[in-house]
Amino acid sequence: MKNFRIVISGLSGILVLIIVIPLVRMVFSADPGVLRSTINDPEVVQSILLTLRAALWATLSCILFGVPLAYALARWRFPGTSIVQGIVDLPVMIPHTAAGIALLMVYGREFFLGKTFSLVGISFTGTEFGISLAMAFVSLPFLVNAARDGFLSVDPRLERVARTLGASPWQAFFKVSLALSWRSILSGAIMMWARGIAEFGAVIVLAYHPMIAPILIWERLENYGLKYARPVAVILILLCLLIFSALRWLSRQKKEV
Amino acid sequence: MLRLEGISVRLGDFRLRDISLHVRAGAYLTLLGPTGTGKTALLETIAGVHKPLSGRIHINGRDATHLAPEKRHLGIVYQDYALFPHLTVFQNIAFGLRLKGVPERKIKGAVDEMAGFLEIRPLLKRSPGRLSGGERQRVALARALVLEPYVLLLDEPLSALDRVTRSRIQKELKRIHTQLGVTIIHITHNLAEAFFLADHLAVMKDGCILQEGAPEEVCRRPADRSVAELVGIENLITAKVKDNRLVTVMGDVDSQKIFAGRDDLPERVCLTLPGWSIEIFPAGKPQDYIWQGNLSISSVYPMNDTGMVEVTLVHNGGESLKTYLSRREAKAMSPYLKTGTTVPVGFLGKGVHWVPQEVLI
Repeated sequence: MKNFRIVISGLSGILVLIIVIPLVRMVFSADPGVLRSTINDPEVVQSILLTLRAALWATLSCILFGVPLAYALARWRFPGTSIVQGIVDLPVMIPHTAAGIALLMVYGREFFLGKTFSLVGISFTGTEFGISLAMAFVSLPFLVNAARDGFLSVDPRLERVARTLGASPWQAFFKVSLALSWRSILSGAIMMWARGIAEFGAVIVLAYHPMIAPILIWERLENYGLKYARPVAVILILLCLLIFSALRWLSRQKKEV
Repeated sequence: MLRLEGISVRLGDFRLRDISLHVRAGAYLTLLGPTGTGKTALLETIAGVHKPLSGRIHINGRDATHLAPEKRHLGIVYQDYALFPHLTVFQNIAFGLRLKGVPERKIKGAVDEMAGFLEIRPLLKRSPGRLSGGERQRVALARALVLEPYVLLLDEPLSALDRVTRSRIQKELKRIHTQLGVTIIHITHNLAEAFFLADHLAVMKDGCILQEGAPEEVCRRPADRSVAELVGIENLITAKVKDNRLVTVMGDVDSQKIFAGRDDLPERVCLTLPGWSIEIFPAGKPQDYIWQGNLSISSVYPMNDTGMVEVTLVHNGGESLKTYLSRREAKAMSPYLKTGTTVPVGFLGKGVHWVPQEVLI
C-alpha cells in the first residue's frame, strides 16, 4: 500500500511539475519594471480584455446551442449518433490553423454565408465576431462533452417520474435534467472559456486584428524579442489563474451547500 | 379504471405482444413474472413513456393511448424510488402540486397530511441521500399519492429492501390500498409478495400475459406449465389419459376428482401438484387422496428464510417431488426424515390440477 502511494504520488508530481516549472520560471524571470509598465500599457490591457470578452461570448453562445446538442447525444438514439459525436470531437483533432482556414472559407467574403452575414452588418474577418467564432469552433467540444456527461449521469427515470407528476418535457428538462447537470455544464463552460482564451491558430487566420493576447504575445516576440513578450504572457497567465481558481472555488462552494 | 386492449410495443429487440388487461377501480393487481419479461416496459407503456405500436389504453373511461405522461394522472414508484436528489423530502412530495399551481399554503397542508399518513413528518427537511431504503420508499409513495392518481404503478418497489423492511412496507402498501382505496398495479417477481398483496394476479412471460385472475385461482388452475412454474408449483407429473384413467410412471391416479366430469380430455396431460398437496404419512380420509404409495426421501433441507423444511421425495420410476413441512411436523417425523428412508405419501385431490401436455414442450 505504501509503495503504491509513493509510485502514484511520484508520477502525478512529475506531471504537475512539467506544467508548473516553465510557468513559474517565466513569472519569476520577468523584469518587475517592465512588468509594471506592461500592466499600464493600454494596448496590453485592451488586448487582454478583448481576449476574455471574445472567449466569454463564444462560450455563452455555445451554451445556447451546445447544451441542447449535449442533451440529444445523451438521451436520444438516432441514426448517425456516433457520427455527430465524432463531428463534435473533430475541432480537438484538426490543426487549429486548418480550422481557421476552413472558417475563413465559409465566413469570409467569398462564400455566401459570409456574404449573407455582411448584409446584416456582421463581418467575421478582422472583427471581434470572427475572434469569437474561431474560439467557439475550436473549444466547443469541451462544453458539449462535459454537458453530455452531465446529462448521462442523470437517471432518465427521474425525468419519467417528473412527467408522471405533471411536468411537460420542458419542465422535466429544466427542473430535473438541467438542475442536476448544471455543475457539469458550468465546468465544461469554464474549460471552454479557458481554451478560447488560449486560442491562437484559428484566430490568427480569421482575425489578426484586433489583436487578442496570444497574438499580441507572438507579435511582440517576433518584433521586439522575449523581453517584451514575456511580461504580457505573465500577466495573462496570472490573470487566468486568478479567474479560474475563483470560478472553481465558487462552483465547489455551491456543491458543498 | 384501466383497460389495455391488444397493446403491442417494440423496444429494440424486445416486444410486448398483444397485451389485454382490465383493472377495476380499487383493485390491487400484481404483475408476476421473471426478470426481463417486460413488466417494467408494460408499466412504462401504461405511464406513457413508450408508445404502443398497436392497441388502446383506456384510463378512467378515457382513451389515453396517445396522451402525454403528464396528462394521464398516474403515479409511478420505481425500484430505486427515483427521488429527486437535488430536492428535500418536502420538495420531492410537493413537486407535482407545485407544477399544478396549487397555492403554497395548500401544498404545505397536503404534504403534511400525506407525511403524517406515511409517518415521514420528521424527514421533510432532509435530503433523499440521507434516508434509508424504507424511508425513501415512503417518500416516493407520498410523492405519487399526494396527487391522488387514478392508478399507482409500482415497479418492484420492495426488491431493494432488506427482509424486515420489506415485510413492514408490504403491510404499509396493504394499509395504503385499504385506507385510500387507490387502484394499484404492482410488478414483482416475488411470489410471496404477489400473494400477500394482490386481489388480482397477472402472470407475464416473454412479453405476453399468460394468465390472469384471482391469485388463488391462478395458483389452483394454472393455464400451462410456465404459469404453474411461475406461481411456484414445482411438482409436475406427466400422465396419459386411458379410458378415463390417468396413467403415470407412479401408477394410476384417481382421475375423477381432477377431471370433474370433463370428457374432452387430451391424450396426454401434466398434473400440477403444489407442495402442500403432497402429504407424508397421509392422515386424512382415503377418499381425500387421488394417489397413495411409498416414496423415498432424497433430501431434507431446512429453509432458514421461511422456517419450513423442504423434503424431496423420489419414485423409483424417476419422478422427483417436493413438499414442505413445518418445523413442528418435521420434528414429529424426525425418525423417518432421513435420506434413503421410504415413507408413505398421499396426493390430496383438491390441490391437484392438470394442464394439456402439448403446451408443456
